[in-house]
Amino acid sequence: MMDDNANMAPQAEQTQGRSDAEGEGRAKAALGQSGEDGTLSAFPHLRIPASWLSLTAGVIAWELAGWWAGLGFLPPFSRVLWTAAGLIASGQIVTPLLASLLSLLAGYGAAVTLGLALGVLMGRYRTVEFVLTPYLEAFLAAPKIALVPVMYAVFGLSRLIQVAVIFLSGFFVVVLNTMRGIQTVEPACVEMAHAFGATERQLFWKVLLPGALPLTMAGLRLAIGHAVRGMVTAEMLVALFGLGALLRSYGARFDAEKVFAILLVVIGVALVCSFMVQVAERRMTRWADTTLE
Amino acid sequence: MIELRGVRKVYPSHDGHPPVIALGGVDLTIQTQEIVCLLGPSGCGKTTLLKAIMGLVSLDAGEVRIDGQLVSAPGADRAMVFQNFALLPWADVMTNVAFGLDLRGVSRAERELKAREWIRAVGLEGFERHYPRQLSGGMQQRVGLARALAVNPTILLMDEPFGAVDAQTRRLLQEDLLALLEHSRKTVFFVTHSMEEALLLGGRLVLMTQRPSRIRDETVVRLPRPRPPDVEKDPRFIELKEYLWQQLRAMQISTAGHDG
Repeated sequence: MMDDNANMAPQAEQTQGRSDAEGEGRAKAALGQSGEDGTLSAFPHLRIPASWLSLTAGVIAWELAGWWAGLGFLPPFSRVLWTAAGLIASGQIVTPLLASLLSLLAGYGAAVTLGLALGVLMGRYRTVEFVLTPYLEAFLAAPKIALVPVMYAVFGLSRLIQVAVIFLSGFFVVVLNTMRGIQTVEPACVEMAHAFGATERQLFWKVLLPGALPLTMAGLRLAIGHAVRGMVTAEMLVALFGLGALLRSYGARFDAEKVFAILLVVIGVALVCSFMVQVAERRMTRWADTTLE
Repeated sequence: MIELRGVRKVYPSHDGHPPVIALGGVDLTIQTQEIVCLLGPSGCGKTTLLKAIMGLVSLDAGEVRIDGQLVSAPGADRAMVFQNFALLPWADVMTNVAFGLDLRGVSRAERELKAREWIRAVGLEGFERHYPRQLSGGMQQRVGLARALAVNPTILLMDEPFGAVDAQTRRLLQEDLLALLEHSRKTVFFVTHSMEEALLLGGRLVLMTQRPSRIRDETVVRLPRPRPPDVEKDPRFIELKEYLWQQLRAMQISTAGHDG
């Protein structure tokens, strides 16, 4: 029945084209001087991402500085890499790494579960938000590590201290982002759902939760970074388990190569975790992407 | 039949603003299968009146009855098309159109079948997997219309549905809506601020005054149905439009005088 279908199709393409261009523009702006999709314009035909070039340059600089300066605290990159490989190959790092990952899993898992629940409550009910926000803001700003003595009193000298620090590092970011996510769902969508007879439960599962996803997932991504940092700091402070404990013992011996080697492993862990969260984020929030296929 | 008796809605004062009397005792009857267009100056409570029929606002006085039953909440007999489309941005066309059916517990296979039918009926075949922001405004409202029709309501409430699209698209949407409604046997209550739109679609026109809003004038549109595309050249159309304009102008002037 519709004759204007044909007229409308190109319109749709146009809209798409525009959003693609916008995405490109933003990427360009973010990278300053560089060309399309983050490749340096000096090497347009090579199409190497600028971030890779920059990293390679940094590594070379580190290597050269390590050899020429001969500073005890700055071993060359190749030696650090070699040491890291050695630590991994000999299995020396496996036990502490697993211990760290276990704490991370427990702490981050709890932060996400409880954070989502509280964030949803705060986003949905104004009273809850007004009552709790001052505390959350305060805790978000506070250094979690300062609470370690208190935790020590509560949990004794156990792994729970690490888990608690990791939990606190991630929890507040998850809560606040989830809350904002719920609050920024279009009121028009909520009203529409009511008009079509949605129950409170349906409203939550079919409108509020999916609508809150972009901000919620951003919260989870931020939280994993905070959590890894919290993990290492707590382990260094309460040197019982994990990579942090290892870091501290090598640090005490001024073994710079091993300290840097473990830091590489820690950064690796953080990047892998954050990458996994990002993959989940991209899959779930494709609709909010500026560059939809 | 939709009956409104003395419907009054006052929004309480907040942030130092005085209370707003959105509806000041509205009486209106809409017969089953009638197409009624409500015209009135902007901000005169047209949307609130729709929400009252929808069962989305609590009334301060009066009542809304549908076939004798008191309205207190949204029901399966009514569906609404929104001015701002109110599509779910994270859901594709298929999911959006099937949304009402989904809420009613219709199985996935069945609701996709129904949704596909309506997507075709509003001319969006092939766009099932597109997301709202990939569509033009006119196409988005077609999705909104399909979503409302998919739940097979007996009453269709439309809140300035074509107010947010450009003039040409608007014209196409009006013609398509007329064609869709021709055989549907639905009761339609259509809110607009366009006189041409009201005359093109409506079987009866209702004018609403500036706040505190009341129904001021009712006009039966005696134009042939189905309305031909060139109905605007019909002398009766021109005459009615002139009459409406005089009425609306008088209302605007009296309020302007009231304000000053």
